[in-house]
Amino acid sequence: MNTTPPAIGVSGLLGRPYKTLRLEWSSDLRLLRVRTCVRPIQCYSLAAMAELQQMLGDISANPGLVRHFVMSSDVPTVFNFGGDLALFVLLVRAGDIDSLKLYGKRCVDLVWWMENAANLGVHTTVLSQGDTLGGGLESVLPFHKVIFERSAQAGFPEVLFNLFPGMGAWDFTIRKAGFAVANEMILSGRLYSADELHYRRLVDVVVDDGQGELAVDKVVREIDPRHRGTLAALRAQRLAAPIRYESLLATVDLWAESALGLTDRDLRLMERLARAQARKAGGAEEGAVEEIKLMELESAWGERRARFDRRNLSNDRRVRS
Amino acid sequence: MLSFFAELVTRTDEDRRAFETHPVLLDAVAHGMNVERYRALLLELYHVVWHFNPVSAAAASRMSDAWMPIRHFLYEHMHEESGHELWVMNDLEAVGVAPEAVRAHVPSVHTLALNGYNYWAADRRHPCSVLGMLYALEVIASVYGGPFAAALRESLLLEGDRGVSFIGSHASLDTQHMAELRQILNQLAGEDALAAVVESARVNFHHFTRIVEAI
Repeated sequence: MNTTPPAIGVSGLLGRPYKTLRLEWSSDLRLLRVRTCVRPIQCYSLAAMAELQQMLGDISANPGLVRHFVMSSDVPTVFNFGGDLALFVLLVRAGDIDSLKLYGKRCVDLVWWMENAANLGVHTTVLSQGDTLGGGLESVLPFHKVIFERSAQAGFPEVLFNLFPGMGAWDFTIRKAGFAVANEMILSGRLYSADELHYRRLVDVVVDDGQGELAVDKVVREIDPRHRGTLAALRAQRLAAPIRYESLLATVDLWAESALGLTDRDLRLMERLARAQARKAGGAEEGAVEEIKLMELESAWGERRARFDRRNLSNDRRVRS
Repeated sequence: MLSFFAELVTRTDEDRRAFETHPVLLDAVAHGMNVERYRALLLELYHVVWHFNPVSAAAASRMSDAWMPIRHFLYEHMHEESGHELWVMNDLEAVGVAPEAVRAHVPSVHTLALNGYNYWAADRRHPCSVLGMLYALEVIASVYGGPFAAALRESLLLEGDRGVSFIGSHASLDTQHMAELRQILNQLAGEDALAAVVESARVNFHHFTRIVEAI
């Protein structure tokens, strides 16, 4: 549990010695700009989440100080790979359901802060300029405004290794895009382009590569003069289509129980993804996104192959009988 | 309240990630390594594995009956790990290093520091510190061993377990070991014992990272 006293004022907010966050302040708009940087593999590690929680706690402890919160990634071509895969493998192999639930709860606490940001007088915007996978996509969905650069790709690949995204994917995708889209995205495990996500209403704005910063500035300057009214409307929006903390936590419990049931084969697929992340972190052009596409293909081939084998088997039986 | 295992995972997470994200290890997991470097790694590993049971025995010999479950756990663990340095030797032979050369190899200062710390901690810090060594080495084997073995097979064109029997098999063997280790760690009580385990895990991750970095 974090027992550090909250920071006071802008200097306190910016004065923390963060390792995975870079903070900037624009006093004219009272805008806190946060860039995440978990090098070399940009994921939600325990340390990164602790720092995010600390920073969000500081904002809550200074009501009225921050009017706009904008988050993006400092790692080129990656917004966030989501969960810390090696930590998952460790906890699954150790059979440690309590730690899996604790990890999930920490993720849920972060999305829950975003969900309630309007109540704190904060308008939130997120910019993705690259791979936004699993927990990375879950973490952007509760933002008030979601901006993607055109080459960014996102999806929930968890089903490819027999898991599901358990930290808000269902609740937030259903609210933004509807039940059918949530079903399609979560159960297929496939990746979507920025334009496909925009078409499905999960992304609010798509801009050409390199135009993301301008788009953020435009959004913030449009919102700022009608900040109070926008936040009131967004609070009402959340009342009209509420998401419950208890439901998020219950999903985490289900996720942790499912994770404990992963087989060696499932964990090897997860490790394949981790290897692909390592390749990209080492400078290779191809990384997790390409590996997921390969897994999708193998999975599709596996199904076709299985259907083919089943058909041959039943033909054989018919011939023999 | 966090279980001790959860606390150990949390308090040593950055040390684990420092190992995982070291450029040399990232490259090894992504692309494997050439045969000279793999030989150098196995030669160091031989000396780490050789000392695993003697360190555990030293720790067990210093545990009073207050630590009886842990002492008995160590006996069983030592039995399972017995002779595993020979697996490393077999792998070395498969990649062209004769047993005489393995025995004659002088370990690097990083390996000496790792082994030296583990004997010292069992003797002078706290006998339960050996559980920190077990934790770090089992995490390295069970979480990173599989992908590393796969990368080695690809880069060195090895077939099956030939040349990677130690690393490859420990990735699956240690699955059960991790679950058993969690259970025994959660029985641990006493602030000094807990602090010693955390320290030992951190030091083992640190030295193991240096070993990999230097090869």
